Amino acid sequence: MQTFPLIWIPLVPLLGAAVLGILGNRLGRANINLIACGSILTALAGSLFAVASVAGGATLAQSFTWFHVGTVDVSWGFTVDRLSATLLLVVTGIGFLIHVYSTGYMAHDPAPARYFAYLNLFVSAMLVLVLGDNLVVLFVGWEGVGLCSYLLIGFWYEDPDKALAGRKAFIVNRIGDLGFTLAVFACIAMFGTVSFHGLAEQTGQLRIDQPLLQGVFAGWGTGSVITLIGLLFLVGVAGKSAQIPLYVWLPDAMAGPTPVSALIHAATMVTAGVYLMCRLSFLYVYSGTALTVVGAIGAATALFAAIIACAQNDIKKVLAYSTVSQLGFMVLAVGVGAFWAAIAHLVTHAFFKACLFLTAGSVIHGMHDEQDVRRMGGLLKRMPQTGAAFIVATAAITGVVPLSGFFSKDAILSLVQGTRNAGAPWAPALFYVAGSLAALGTAYYMWRLALLTFYGQPRTEQAAHAHEATWSMTFVTWTLAAGSVAGLWLALPLEGGAPMERWLAPVFEESLTHLTALRPPAEEGIPWLAFLVAFAIAWAGAGIAYVLWRDAALRERATRMLGWIRVAAENKFYVDEIYQSLIVRPIAVSARFLWRFVDQGLIDGVAVRGSAAVVQAFSRYALRPLQNGNAQSYAMVMALGMATLLWLILKGHA
Amino acid sequence: MAVPLNHYLAVATLLFGIGLCGALVRRNSLTVFMSIELMLNAANLTFLAFARYPLRGPPAVNGQAVAFFVMAVAAAEAAVGLAIIIAVFRVRGSVNIDDLRSLRN
Repeated sequence: MQTFPLIWIPLVPLLGAAVLGILGNRLGRANINLIACGSILTALAGSLFAVASVAGGATLAQSFTWFHVGTVDVSWGFTVDRLSATLLLVVTGIGFLIHVYSTGYMAHDPAPARYFAYLNLFVSAMLVLVLGDNLVVLFVGWEGVGLCSYLLIGFWYEDPDKALAGRKAFIVNRIGDLGFTLAVFACIAMFGTVSFHGLAEQTGQLRIDQPLLQGVFAGWGTGSVITLIGLLFLVGVAGKSAQIPLYVWLPDAMAGPTPVSALIHAATMVTAGVYLMCRLSFLYVYSGTALTVVGAIGAATALFAAIIACAQNDIKKVLAYSTVSQLGFMVLAVGVGAFWAAIAHLVTHAFFKACLFLTAGSVIHGMHDEQDVRRMGGLLKRMPQTGAAFIVATAAITGVVPLSGFFSKDAILSLVQGTRNAGAPWAPALFYVAGSLAALGTAYYMWRLALLTFYGQPRTEQAAHAHEATWSMTFVTWTLAAGSVAGLWLALPLEGGAPMERWLAPVFEESLTHLTALRPPAEEGIPWLAFLVAFAIAWAGAGIAYVLWRDAALRERATRMLGWIRVAAENKFYVDEIYQSLIVRPIAVSARFLWRFVDQGLIDGVAVRGSAAVVQAFSRYALRPLQNGNAQSYAMVMALGMATLLWLILKGHA
Repeated sequence: MAVPLNHYLAVATLLFGIGLCGALVRRNSLTVFMSIELMLNAANLTFLAFARYPLRGPPAVNGQAVAFFVMAVAAAEAAVGLAIIIAVFRVRGSVNIDDLRSLRN
């Protein structure tokens, strides 16, 4: 078992993508579905083998040298420990389910081969990201998933809006990737290695309060370099995991097919940032500042996105902002050093959010591409399977006891509340309040969505005649709904720690030892208060949603009372417009200046055409008259030349 | 009394100058052709003068040999050149050198 070749786990989906991409639609739908799902199933089986061999706490590592640059060795190495094993199962497991769902969802699309080739490629890249044992290999996967995200958001590229959404996702992610690469360079400059193992060893020996004596950062304090690296990685995380201020691409990414939203933009790719920060936990625990900033970004994102989600009417947009908000919770968890809680929430969120997206996909499918919830209603009668799975997942995300979301979200909030932060004493309380308000918002917007979609009377003809999804789709949504119930076990606060906490303990052991030195924890004790608050919040949100849904007059009054805040939230607080006028337009204007003046004017006009014009003018007015075709004038020039030569020669002898 | 070297050279220079001027300014290509012959003969005269009065060493026949070559080449050239002029006259109806500007551009 020790020699299980890890390379095959990402390689099989890659081969699947190659076969599908090269042979294309001539394979026929049945074969395409078989190859696409089969390759992921193989990867899932391989992952299970790999996970089984590390279940005892061992680490499986395989690598060969990729390249050397100076003193830096970069290996093409894969490693499985309990952290990557968890992600491995999420990616291949949920990836497989979503492939199966896609066979139903894309049954009438004209380009199934292209779709499944991209999807297989995505899974392959995500597996490289998760398995990579150093920052460079991780970055390969990181860029690979970004590419597939772009390709799949713009999958229906004939629609300019969808193609534009793909480009937006790609460009916003470039900003994050710049931070990521700078952070990698800083790691190389500081530690001379990019492997996680090497970095962990080196950080273990750091003297945090001493200035550095040599290298790029000579004269800097060790602690400030760690903070810098942590913050640069945070920029990358903000891009990939859709945190403030780079979250704007994720809501637009809903332009892609719904299974893509479920797999890439809810369950796996967007959690890559959280995974990265957990992977680098040994680094973050040395910088209280970086951790506080991470927590602040997470808390702000969770609250901000939850507020926006409350005022959206597009079923996928609500889920998108909900995803941003939940990712904020995970980042917040990292910010207070609750790494295991972040991963636990990552896993449970993968289940219930994938379930929500896929049921939403079934609804959209059944409604013939209608996404506006105001045009739905009463769908539970028309689509009982889909509706029931949606309700289960909604209960899970809103934190109804005892479903998975309650425990994983409460684990985060109680840990936030239980930390102390000497550098910023106000932070834990503030984060807790923001997180709890975000949880309240989550409960409100999710129940509002569920009520508007599935209860009451159908509000349109389409809603009255919506059809239930095919068995391959309902099977998958039920499996995921079951997962979002079973996931409660992961973060269940048992005696001796939650199962996920104990499972990940070997990975975070050293980091947490250092963190405890940096931030002594608050008093021990089961956080009953946090439990009760979370419990009350879940029902309060649901209650508000129900009351407002039932009572139209009250809804009117509430709308009027909130006034401009509601309008602003419905318009996503004009963030896109602000970015448009503050960043995009100035760049577009300066690009236009560069294009019209510098490129066309100076380079094309002056340098290229100008030099040609000078040569041409010289030829026309100076050289051409000489070539008049009159042999005698040629001879005259020759004679004068000879005479000059003769004169020059004889002058010396005179 | 022997004619000294400088007299030969003076005559040769005069001949060459007349030939050059004729070749450069005359319009009739036959006249230009004859002027070129004049320059050849000026050169021939110089060869012969230096063969008779070399700057170093005893008189030798090298210069006279070259003069024969020049005369042979000039004869060949006269044949070809006159043939060209006749051919041009047949095509163009003129031997005016100003009209022959096909080399232009």
